[in-house]
Amino acid sequence: MFVTDIRKEFYEAVADQRVALLVASDIDALCACRILQALFQCDQVQYTLIPVAGWQDLGTAFLEHKDQIKLLIKQDDDLGVPSYDEIFRDDDEDEEGGDSGNESDEGTEPSGKRRRFDEGSVERRIERQREKREWEARRREILFDYEQYEYHGTSAAMMFFELAWVLTKDTKDMLWWAIIGLTDQWVHDKVTHMKYVTDIATMQRHVSRHNHRNEDEENSLSIDCMRISFEYDLRLTLYQHWSLYESISNSCYTCCHFKLWTLNGQKKLQEFLADMGLPLKQVRQKFTSMDMSIKENLREVIEESSNKYGMKDIRIQTFGVHFGFKNRFLASDMVHATTALLESTEKDENETDNFIKALDSLSRSNLERLHSGMDLAKKKLIAIQQTVASCICTNLILSQGPFLYCYLMEGTPDVKLFSKPMALTLLSKYLLRAFIQSTRNKRCRLLPLIMAAPKDVEKGTVLVVGIPPESETSDKKNFFGRAFEKAAESTSSRTLHDHFDTSIIELKTEDRSKFLDALITLLS
Amino acid sequence: MDPSEVEFLAEKELVKIIPNFNLDKLYLIGGDLGPFNPGLPLYVPVWLALNLKQRQKCRVVPPDWMDVEKLEEMRELERNAATFTPAPCPYYMELTKLLLNHASDNIPKADEIRTLVKDIWDTRIAKLRLSADSFITQQEAHAKLDNLTLMEINTIRGFLLESLNCMYKLRSNLQPGSSKGPLADY
Repeated sequence: MFVTDIRKEFYEAVADQRVALLVASDIDALCACRILQALFQCDQVQYTLIPVAGWQDLGTAFLEHKDQIKLLIKQDDDLGVPSYDEIFRDDDEDEEGGDSGNESDEGTEPSGKRRRFDEGSVERRIERQREKREWEARRREILFDYEQYEYHGTSAAMMFFELAWVLTKDTKDMLWWAIIGLTDQWVHDKVTHMKYVTDIATMQRHVSRHNHRNEDEENSLSIDCMRISFEYDLRLTLYQHWSLYESISNSCYTCCHFKLWTLNGQKKLQEFLADMGLPLKQVRQKFTSMDMSIKENLREVIEESSNKYGMKDIRIQTFGVHFGFKNRFLASDMVHATTALLESTEKDENETDNFIKALDSLSRSNLERLHSGMDLAKKKLIAIQQTVASCICTNLILSQGPFLYCYLMEGTPDVKLFSKPMALTLLSKYLLRAFIQSTRNKRCRLLPLIMAAPKDVEKGTVLVVGIPPESETSDKKNFFGRAFEKAAESTSSRTLHDHFDTSIIELKTEDRSKFLDALITLLS
Repeated sequence: MDPSEVEFLAEKELVKIIPNFNLDKLYLIGGDLGPFNPGLPLYVPVWLALNLKQRQKCRVVPPDWMDVEKLEEMRELERNAATFTPAPCPYYMELTKLLLNHASDNIPKADEIRTLVKDIWDTRIAKLRLSADSFITQQEAHAKLDNLTLMEINTIRGFLLESLNCMYKLRSNLQPGSSKGPLADY
């Protein structure tokens, strides 16, 4: 459903009813959910929070609450450009499944039409039937074009922040959550660089508005108040909560440029550090205990040296938050920590617990949870780098013609971490970039990658992820959704297309080879 | 009495707010709360002020005594006097904590105010401890202390009464013949 005035048509319609919030499992949805929760608390709206992991969960939740609820709101920023939430309306007259905007605009279902049998106008009826057939054909074509590519639109958290702003109930906490939602899209490579920079500019306007509001008198704010600032900071993941050396070795950008899985690469890294004049002992220490003299100009020094080594974009525009004396976080740090919590594979944790923990870690009062999330994120990043290194060194990536393919065997260390969709997607993106750096075959550099990892050993399923090829001008449109569906149909493999992101599916291990063959024939 | 009960009593104090919504006069059991008009200040109890602030419906104006220069003067007076000087407000400690925890963005120089109030509290509690100590050792029968707030009294009450009880038991055991038998504890 397209909504033009979000305040009147959406919020005011909803605010005096009881709301069910179905939230997808990614950080952007979590942040949007937090913003909406804060708004509901201000206006004392009753709501129920239901985490959903896929279409089946959505269906069950919908059916459970079907009798009580008239209007459902779910946050998901998948599929389709302008719409940022899906609204299912269950009226008595017609069942419209409003699906991300465009579909509901195509016209109503003809099932409700009552046909009047008029003997005198049989020709008119034939005419109508022919028109309907043409209309159906056109509709199928438009739907096919629409569903062929999948890409992400504006961050849902940003949309809800704009709603809060229109209601003048926006606070710094909500602004910070909106920034985290936007950064999640960049960290997991869901939007193009241009879109990210444009959205950062929008957020920057809000940040300066909030900062001006509080600091115009000479009376400064209490140190405990939250301060958000624009930073042109380094692209090294979690470097302020780790040691500089570890961060450089485990960040995708630096690792791929130096090729740190080779011996040569390690030597180049040592040269790089020596070039900057950073002693090894300092660099291996925790960042907070490094010498102040080194930390002062660190960013400029690193930028200068990295330009010499061919890394032109070591710095990225982002935001940082600062509250209390000890707590400084960059937006990307929070994204990594919360993702690790959301997909943690520790024992005795089910998905709802993880969801609640990740949601909690976003608020300022749960810092221990955030720190535990960062530790999990560090382990995950180290696991990703080691897996990437071993895959490249043992040539596990095979070129299958129209795409590259890699399968993680069951005995691979840390393979349990990669049974979760976001971790596996992150791994495949790093792997593709590393592969492009390490291969000599020019043609292979333009191929997309399909990655498979065991998901559930008892049930014998694997998780398959497809990502588009890596290129400078890529618009991040992913066509694997439809391709997977067609391949599964043609080989009647047992697949589960449950995830909201259609390029991630579950497949039975035995059907793997015939599924792949079908894909090869489909895409070549 | 529990410190949280003292805080609960402190929440009845009036504080000035500036609402951003419209509402007619409220008739509550404790009294009337004037009509709410956006931008016009009015006095409401602290519990309501905090609730509205958390729902982003008002702005809190710090009370008159919550000012850096005034608190500095009071701190100096307190340090120099031997007895207790009048406190900034009968519930100064609780109000500082409540307002600075929830509405610190509306109060200028919040950190300094927190430090100053803590200094005043420390000085007064030190004087109270000294006074209680001399009361017990000199076995006085009664004492009079002016200008104490309920929170300070509550802090010393448990300790003072228990120690007086113990002293009484010890004294009555020293004179076995004249003991009046076990009396009820206070």
